[in-house]
Amino acid sequence: MMYSTPFSSLGHPLAVQKDSRKYTRWGWPKEKKGPIFHFPFQNPLPFSPPWSSSPLFLQLSCKKMASEYEDDRIARISSSIRVIPDFPKPGIIFQDITTLLLDPKAFKDTIDLFVERYKDKNISVVAGIEARGFIFGPPIALAIEAKFVPLRKPKKLPGEVISEEYSLEYGTDQMEMHVGAVQAGERALIVDDLIATGGTLCAAIRLLERVGVEVVECACVIELPELKGRDRLGEAPLFVLVKAT
Amino acid sequence: MSDCKDKDPRIHGIASSIRVVPNFPKPGIMFQDITTLLLDPKAFKNTIDLFVERYRGKNISVVAGIEARGFIFGPPIALAIGAKFVPLRKPRKLPGKVISEKYVLEYGTDCLEMHVGAVQDGERALVIDDLIATGGTLCAAIKLLERVGAEVVECACVIELPELKGRERLNGKPLYILVESR
Repeated sequence: MMYSTPFSSLGHPLAVQKDSRKYTRWGWPKEKKGPIFHFPFQNPLPFSPPWSSSPLFLQLSCKKMASEYEDDRIARISSSIRVIPDFPKPGIIFQDITTLLLDPKAFKDTIDLFVERYKDKNISVVAGIEARGFIFGPPIALAIEAKFVPLRKPKKLPGEVISEEYSLEYGTDQMEMHVGAVQAGERALIVDDLIATGGTLCAAIRLLERVGVEVVECACVIELPELKGRDRLGEAPLFVLVKAT
Repeated sequence: MSDCKDKDPRIHGIASSIRVVPNFPKPGIMFQDITTLLLDPKAFKNTIDLFVERYRGKNISVVAGIEARGFIFGPPIALAIGAKFVPLRKPRKLPGKVISEKYVLEYGTDCLEMHVGAVQDGERALVIDDLIATGGTLCAAIKLLERVGAEVVECACVIELPELKGRERLNGKPLYILVESR
């Protein structure tokens, strides 16, 4: 697994690479366990080195503490996601977040990581894509005091809606949003559990931009980078916690 | 028009944030639309708080939410009380091994599914949905949980349509709601 820290220069902080081949027959991750040694908390020396109280050392220690904490949370989140082969059809390796939801700490950490990123960004709208975006979006919206806007399959939302068509592997589908849910000039986040080809997220961005909303970022728990969904999001940046290969 | 139990001052704000859409999904039905509640951060937060205050400290380890609007209210409650969240879904949405419970619709039947292994024997559970009408869906949810040995402590919904008597169809399980709509 490859870790990026919040301070990495790659521009995609907090993402952990998850190799889909390293799973048991039943879809559970084969966890690698090694010695856990947290420097500078566990000092291997029998005395405190003279440099340990210098300002630079303490600064570096704090950054290391923060990044280790982030990495621990991400590692737990990543290992709580179950991989199911051949669902919904042969050849597809399905990333199942329901096992993350069964781990209250991992679920809380997932939400916390998003909330920490967005809480001071003046975001007034969190749009969640049906149905798994409805699980992650509302807790984020509640924590950052934004409204939650569900983006739904056709004929689910009552009253007046606007509609955006998007491509599937075979055929097209449609996504709907309520008229009047969001106002021109609002700043929005779009949340879903996973980005694959980016088709659904792209439709969501178009829906919001059609009514004059600024899409600040798309946020997903998981990215499948090989499907290059990130490239289909236009100007909108993408933030993910876990990359699955 | 919505009728609210005036036990708590927050209820009025919640009730008045719910929009009624006539003739949806078909003529004659007055649809209770909670999306307008979700557009009011204070009302949404109060909704969740009222449930959390009731269920915190009751040793509930499972919050089961019914697809899809139960997915909006269930997870924030689960997070706040430290319980796991279990989605109960329409057929063929959950990957891997599932158990299935059929239930009756006005015309025909439908099915609710839950993952095998999500819930253990003896766990105390809550079932959450946005609204209870006839009680058919909630009844199927209760059966799913009881089949794996969980104890359903209570069903919790934002809205009840009392004239449809869904409360009587819950296998004797208690129902807690915030707003009645007549």
